[in-house]
Amino acid sequence: MVLTCPVVMGRTTRRDESSPLTRRAVLRVGAFLALGGATAPLTGCDLLDRDEPPPPDPLAPLLDESLRLAAGLRAAADAHPDLAVRLVPLAETHEAHATELARVTGTATPSQPSPGSTAPPSPGTPAGPATTLTTLRKAERAGRDSAAAACAAAPGERAALLGSIAAARATHLEALK
Amino acid sequence: MTTAPTAEETLAAALTAEYAAIWAYGPIGVRLADAERKAAAEAEAAHRSRRDALVVQLSTGGGRVPPDRPGYALPFPVTDRASALRLAVEVEERTAAFWRAVLPTSTGAERDRALSALIEYAVRATRWRRAAGITPLTVAFPGRPS
Repeated sequence: MVLTCPVVMGRTTRRDESSPLTRRAVLRVGAFLALGGATAPLTGCDLLDRDEPPPPDPLAPLLDESLRLAAGLRAAADAHPDLAVRLVPLAETHEAHATELARVTGTATPSQPSPGSTAPPSPGTPAGPATTLTTLRKAERAGRDSAAAACAAAPGERAALLGSIAAARATHLEALK
Repeated sequence: MTTAPTAEETLAAALTAEYAAIWAYGPIGVRLADAERKAAAEAEAAHRSRRDALVVQLSTGGGRVPPDRPGYALPFPVTDRASALRLAVEVEERTAAFWRAVLPTSTGAERDRALSALIEYAVRATRWRRAAGITPLTVAFPGRPS
């Protein structure tokens, strides 16, 4: 849809100058394309319905977050070697959380965060140590809150693990001061 | 394998932990000065507040309220600032573990309270670790039995 519309409109504008009949014809083509565009996703849905994948575990986002937090800390430790002694143990904690979350959710032990993460600040202009710590604290605070929310919503058998993860992230805020 | 504890059992256990924590902050506080003594007083107040809430909750629920004891055995003698700080770390980490044990047996507001206690005590343990010069400042799974 998104790709076809501008192309059709562009052609309409050009032909419009020479002949109005052609313009109507192109509009019909446009309508046809619009229909095609609308039906395509429905077909996709049908396909998915027939071959239903298992729903993702509700803890999958938390696992991704653990890996993102670990990656952010490791990137910051690389950028500021003098902070590494403080940052690397925190990264290892997040990795240990990811391992545990992978175990309880029955997923393969992950090695990389999913794309779309907001781990390290963009390269090129490396942030100073103070800014880096502020950024890391902000991520840990958000992580603490999401783990606390997951703990509140979880069945009993997962609550203790999630509580420990929320508490660990809260202690990281303290350790990054 | 033993049967899973009930909510009343884990709350009663948390109460006994709070009794012991309050008691321990006595010898801790006298070995500390200035900001550290103030932090110890704040920590003790937090444990008293949770003790009081637990006594009310358990007695209004018609459950058994475990009694306080006149004294508790310390894991090591507290003779100076360093040992006082080490004990403060232990006290916070141990009470955190009891509140962690409440999580699986609770839901809703009760679980929220248990989680707040776990987080607060874990953070306090990290602060005491920093004061004591203990590294690392954090543990991977606060409150988890090792």
